[in-house]
This record gives sequence, C-alpha cells and structure tokens, in this order.
Amino acid sequence: MFAFLVARRYLGSNPWQTALLVAGVALGVTAFVFITALIQGLATRLTDDVTAKSAHVSLEPADRVARIFHNPRLHTEAVALVSTLQRRQIRAWTATVALLESQTSVTAISPQITGSAVLVRGEAAAPVAVTAIDPRQLDAISPVSREIVAGDTSLNANGILIGVRLAETMGLSVGQPVLFRTDRGIARLLVVEGIFKSGVQSVDERVAYLSLDTARPLFLLPAGVTNIEIKLKDTGQARSFAKFIGGATGLRATPWQDKNSGLADALTAQAQTGTLIQAFSLISVLIGIASALSLSANRRRSEIGIMRAFGISRNFIASVFLLQGLMIGIVGASLGCFAGYGLCSWLATFTKTDGTLALPIAPSEGGYALVFLLTTGGAIMASVIPARSAARLDALEAIQQ
Amino acid sequence: MTASLDARSINMTFRNGDELTRVLVDVNVTLAPGELVALLGASGSGKSTLLSIVGLLLRPTAGIITIGGERADILSDAKSSRFRNTRLGFIFQFHNLLPDFTALENVGFPAAAAGDGMNAAIRRRAEMLLSRVGLSERINFPAARLSGGQKQRVAIARALMNHPQLVLADEPTGSLDRASADQVLALMREINREDGTTFLVCTHDERVASHCTRRITLRDGRIDSALDTQITPET
Ligand SMILES: Nc1ncnc2c1ncn2[C@@H]1O[C@H](COP(=O)(O)OP(=O)(O)OP(=O)(O)O)[C@@H](O)[C@H]1O
Ligand SMILES: [Mg+2]
Repeated sequence: MFAFLVARRYLGSNPWQTALLVAGVALGVTAFVFITALIQGLATRLTDDVTAKSAHVSLEPADRVARIFHNPRLHTEAVALVSTLQRRQIRAWTATVALLESQTSVTAISPQITGSAVLVRGEAAAPVAVTAIDPRQLDAISPVSREIVAGDTSLNANGILIGVRLAETMGLSVGQPVLFRTDRGIARLLVVEGIFKSGVQSVDERVAYLSLDTARPLFLLPAGVTNIEIKLKDTGQARSFAKFIGGATGLRATPWQDKNSGLADALTAQAQTGTLIQAFSLISVLIGIASALSLSANRRRSEIGIMRAFGISRNFIASVFLLQGLMIGIVGASLGCFAGYGLCSWLATFTKTDGTLALPIAPSEGGYALVFLLTTGGAIMASVIPARSAARLDALEAIQQ
Repeated sequence: MTASLDARSINMTFRNGDELTRVLVDVNVTLAPGELVALLGASGSGKSTLLSIVGLLLRPTAGIITIGGERADILSDAKSSRFRNTRLGFIFQFHNLLPDFTALENVGFPAAAAGDGMNAAIRRRAEMLLSRVGLSERINFPAARLSGGQKQRVAIARALMNHPQLVLADEPTGSLDRASADQVLALMREINREDGTTFLVCTHDERVASHCTRRITLRDGRIDSALDTQITPET
C-alpha cells in the first residue's frame, strides 16, 4: 500500500521526534501495565490473606421461620410452630460431611462447635470466642499449629489453646490450669496446652481452641455441631458452591465474600482507582499522538497542498495520517508492554524477609492485550483529527503560504 | 481540432467580509494543442488566479472551463481531483517536491498514489522522464538535496508523468538564477516541440515569454486582445 510507504517515510523523516513520540506512548503503556499488575497483585494478596486463614464457605443451621400450611380440605389453617427456645444446631452433620467429602472442589471440611465462654483465673476474667474442632484437623481452616509460640497442639481432653495476648493479660503460661465457664453455665478446669500468635490482635486476645469432645458436654451438644467450615480449591467458586450446598442441605451457606464485605468494598475502590489511573495514562498517550500528528500535518501543509494539486485524493492523505497513528500506536504499545512486563518482573524479585513480595505485583496480570488494543485503537482515533484537518486542507491556500 | 483548454467568460470576485475584489472580468482563453503560451501581466493582475481556476484548484465566480473537450468546471471535488491527476500537470514556484522522497519517487508519486503504488512501469517512465530532463544521475537523490534548478526540472518530469493534456506553470523560474532559468525554459520548449505538450506559463518576466510560441496579457482583469500575439520563440 503506497499510503503506508508514505506514512513510514514521514515518520522516518524526523527520527528523533518519532522516537520521542513512541517513547511517550510506551511510557504511558508501561504506567498502565504497572498499575494494572499492581492492582491485580494487591487484590490477589488481600484475597489470599483472607482466604488462607478463614473458611471459604460456612454452613450453619438455617434461620427458622414459622410456616403456615394451607389445607384446602380443612377450614382451618395449620401453623408449624417454631420454638425459638430450641437449640440451633446441625444434627445430621455426619451426612453433610459425607456429602462434602464427595465433592472434588472441597479441600478441607471442619465441623465445629462455636460458642462463647469466660476464662477465670483468680479475680481475673476474660471472655473468649471458642472454636471446638477435631484436633486432627486443627489446621483445616487456619494454620493454627504454625502459629504456636509455646506448648503444642495435641488438644487433650482437658486442653485449651489460647492466644498470646490473652495469655499475657491473664498471666497464663503453658501447663497452667484455668477455669473455663461456658455461656451454658457449665464450668470446668482446663489446662493451657499451647499459646498461638496469629498476628491479628483480636484473634490473639479473644479466640480459644478446644477439641470437639471436650466441648460437647460444656456446650450441651452431645451429638450436633453448630457449624461446618469448608475450604475450596478455587476461592472464586465460593459463591456458587455456597448456593449449591445450601440448596442440597437446607443449611444456610455463606461464602467468604459475604463475611468480608469490607474486603469486597476495598477491592472495588482499589479497582476504581486503578481504572482512573489507567484511563489517565491512556488519555495522555492519545493526546500526545493527536498533538504530534497535528503539528506534523501543519508542518506539511505546503506538501499536502502540492499533493492535492496533482490530484492525490483526500482519502489518501487522511490514510497517511491514520497509518502514522496506527504505527506509532502499535510500536509504542508493544514497547510499553515489554517495558511494563520487564519493570513488573524486576519489582517482583524484591522480597521481604518473610519471603513475601515487597510490592504485591503480578507481572502476568498487566492487562497486556487490553492495553495493546486500547492503545492502537485509540491511536487511530487520536489521528482522526490531524487526518481530517490534513485532508480538508485547501490546496491553493496551502501552496501559497 | 479539440482545444487543449477553452476557458469562457471567466469571472472571479473575491469576497472578504463586505469587501469585494473583482480580479477577473469575462476572461476568454483558448489554447490549441501544442501551444506554449506565456500568460503575462503586472503583479496582482490575476495571472495566478486564472491559472488556479483553469487548474481546477479554485472555482470561478462564473465561467465555463473545457479541457481536452471535457467540461471540467462542474466536477465534484473527488472527480476534479482525479481530473487534475490524469489530465493536468502542475509546476509551481516553490515547494514543488516532497522533500522526504527521492527524485524518482517524486516523479512517480502522482501515478503511484492514484493507483496501487510504485510498480515497474511507473518506475520506468519516471526514469525515462528524469533522463529526459537531464537528471539520470540524480534518480535516487533525496529531493531535499537537489538544487533549485534541478528541483524545477524534477517538477517538470512529474508534471509529465501521467501524459497531461495541459501543463500549468506558475512562475516556474521565478526563484532560479538566470542560467538555471534558461535551462528550465529551454527544456519546456523542447518538450513542447518534440512531444506536442501544451503549456500555459504565467510570468511577469519578458524573458520567459521569449521562449514561448504565443503570449497573452492580463490587464485590469481582462485579456488585452491587442497583446495576444503569436511569436517565434528563440531557440
Ligand atoms: N483569496 C483571495 N482573497 C482576496 N483577494 C485575493 C485572493 N487571492 C488573490 N487575490 C487578489 O487577486 C489579485 C490577483 O492576484 P494574483 O495572485 O492572481 O496576481 P498575480 O498576477 O499572480 O500576481 P503576481 O505576479 O504578483 O504573482 C490580487 O489583487 C490579489 O490581492
Ligand atoms: Mg502569481
């Protein structure tokens, strides 16, 4: 295509200016890639932080509501009364666990009894949120055993694990007895078997672990559990899995997202900020292209006038400028994508002492295809204005200047 | 015989706001094929305006233009562009060449851009025309580095590229020194004589006119018929 040759020649006639323009485009694209990879990496890290230490789907007894049965044969209505005095528990939990075990998407299942209790030692008393679990599956939901700073996690019949801050305020250390009184009013002397430090203040100050067998008499639940916590292979599937398992069991299934609406809000806000920065970097790229080509079209007025005089069509002249924009867009976007990937990969080599990335950046998630398409498409759009003004030029006026 | 150019009752009035400038009044010009005509007149007499009108670069206020027997003043923008490309040749005083292209590319440009790019036939003809204007040594020379006279000779070659019925030249030697100007004028005369190409050359330089076969003069916006003379050019 001859217009293509002309466009290339025009870009080549001023190599420094063209290089500068392409560099500007590439820089904008690099900024786009960087911010995209960073936002994505941050989102992944925040999500991972949450999902690594908590259940992906939680099962609880459904809320009970009184139901009215309409019976056409009777002139009365039957009302299924619901006692709010009844204990909320999952009685058939073994069947539910069996169902969950048959699901390939499930990686961990933890039937639990949760409740509240008070730890009493001398005159000191502290409320605790109790999670009673099968000691063999202590780490199913949160890696408790990795956070133990004293003692162990064997969780014998009278053992209890408490957080490091609670141990400090109560003056408790491993092997010491402590009176444990549940919200059912039942008390028993337990022994501190291990002390953990999760790093989350509220957890280290409030949470205590027991074995299920120890908890049953204390919470008056000889057979049932209060909730079943589930981990999935793919945290992104939590919502659909919750819907499925809730339907299958009649239990209330809550995906992790619903328990962490703050995280969802933060991610949305973060994504919006990212979009704003992406938009600005693209807009600056497009303004750069439009202004550079407008200047070029203006500088070449007399040439364009000559071409129009010897009968070169307006479309041909417009296409020369559109093609210049397209080439700048393609080259700039490609260079920018490479530079962005290089920058992100380099930044991803920096790690903190604990092995996590200093900057939670995801080099593979730079939105490369998107930015390439947006930049090249945008570059053509940006060159429409200079292309039109060049094509509309009046030959005579341009020559006479 | 069909006239190369027949311009009838050309009137041109420029309007700038409320101010009207009447430049051409009922101008009639007829050029027979093979003529080399000098269009003379004082500065501001309307020579360039008339040339632009017959070159379809400017629409007259009134008048009929026939080129090679075809009505040309009523063509659409795209059609008149096409007409200029295939039927007319242009030589201006300045900025004739595209500086980013070689002499050969400049000559072939009108054909290449109107068709589908440079091809062997275009290249061959451009080479032939360049050697015709005495520039076979400068075929692949960047236009920007040619001398003023060489540039004008390349412009002549380009004007001839598509076998035009009429070549319009506006002060083609206006910015050349005397020797180069003579060379360019002699070349135009030679092409005119050998190929029968019709030229309309506007100039205020009597010496240019002396190379032409006929001279017409614009005065007060009209052709002074008393000064329409056939001449035998010095060769
Ligand atoms: N676009 C325009 N608007 C108004 N007046 C114009 C315009 N173009 C030309 N004129 C006027 O028309 C008249 C003729 O101009 P033109 O350029 O045709 O003269 P010329 O004979 O070519 O002069 P020169 O020998 O100096 O080139 C001048 O008075 C000029 O000012
Ligand atoms: Mg003039």
